[in-house]
Amino acid sequence: MATRDELSEFLASVERRAFKQAQFATRDVDAALDIVQDAMIKLSESYGDRPVAELPLLFTRILQNVIHDHFRRQKVRSTWVTLFSALTPRDDDSADPLETLEALAGSDGAESAADKVERAQVIGIIEEEVARLPARQREAFLMRYWQEMDVAETAAAMGCSEGSVKTHCSRATATLAKALTARGITL
Amino acid sequence: MKQDEFGYRIRQALNEGLERLDYRTSYRLQQARQAALARHLSAQPEVGWVPVAQTAGGPPSNAGFSGWMGRLGLAAPLLALAIGIFGIYQYQESRRISELADMDFAVLLDEVPLSTYADKGFGAMLSQDSNEF
Repeated sequence: MATRDELSEFLASVERRAFKQAQFATRDVDAALDIVQDAMIKLSESYGDRPVAELPLLFTRILQNVIHDHFRRQKVRSTWVTLFSALTPRDDDSADPLETLEALAGSDGAESAADKVERAQVIGIIEEEVARLPARQREAFLMRYWQEMDVAETAAAMGCSEGSVKTHCSRATATLAKALTARGITL
Repeated sequence: MKQDEFGYRIRQALNEGLERLDYRTSYRLQQARQAALARHLSAQPEVGWVPVAQTAGGPPSNAGFSGWMGRLGLAAPLLALAIGIFGIYQYQESRRISELADMDFAVLLDEVPLSTYADKGFGAMLSQDSNEF
């Protein structure tokens, strides 16, 4: 059974990555934070008695389920919201992309240098393109290459066959490479 | 570039992005972690079987004045039960005596039907009663 300290250490090691995964899926910081909190609480409450070695896979599955639940709830909510959204003006287009670049440059503070800003922008673009991937492709890609899970573990976590995982990863890689090249980024 | 190598480079970029999370997000993640740990099994008090005397509709009693009240709460129904059983016994006994007295009166006043004397059970009862007295 994982002790409280072991669980704390594990959660601390995965919380940032879990947040980013949720943010890629939802594109909403607050929703992503809520999702991570829900997943952490579920792990702690329901699987706190499991050995530490089992926690990574369990947490991955719980996180994916909580993200899917979020979209299910959102789908029901959006049925009503879309009825009224057509009547209200959208201000998404009013955001100035230069403001984002300025904010990124400013966040580095006194140590900011041209290459750091450029690197931050590149990371931002990569994150944007990862977020644009189709949900299943993104899940498979992130589990395989970010969480370093093998094909069998990824298939178990996603509830699909190993062949599907390979296909998703291959497509995600091709899509991502193409999108990054189009934006002038070479890795 | 091979798929694995591409994945590795994306991973590096994403890991770098993790280090750039703003303070507010990091703080909220820490709060979320603390909330989760508070619900860990080790944080819950151990639950064992503890006999608790509880009056009907009353609070459980376990210490001090409430403990004394709890014991009283347990004793009062037992006392009421004992009194009730004794009362029922007394009532049944007096009823039986009354029935026997009625029958004796009926025999003495010669009000018993003749067919009653032909009943074997009646004879047995009379002989039993005479043995008792």
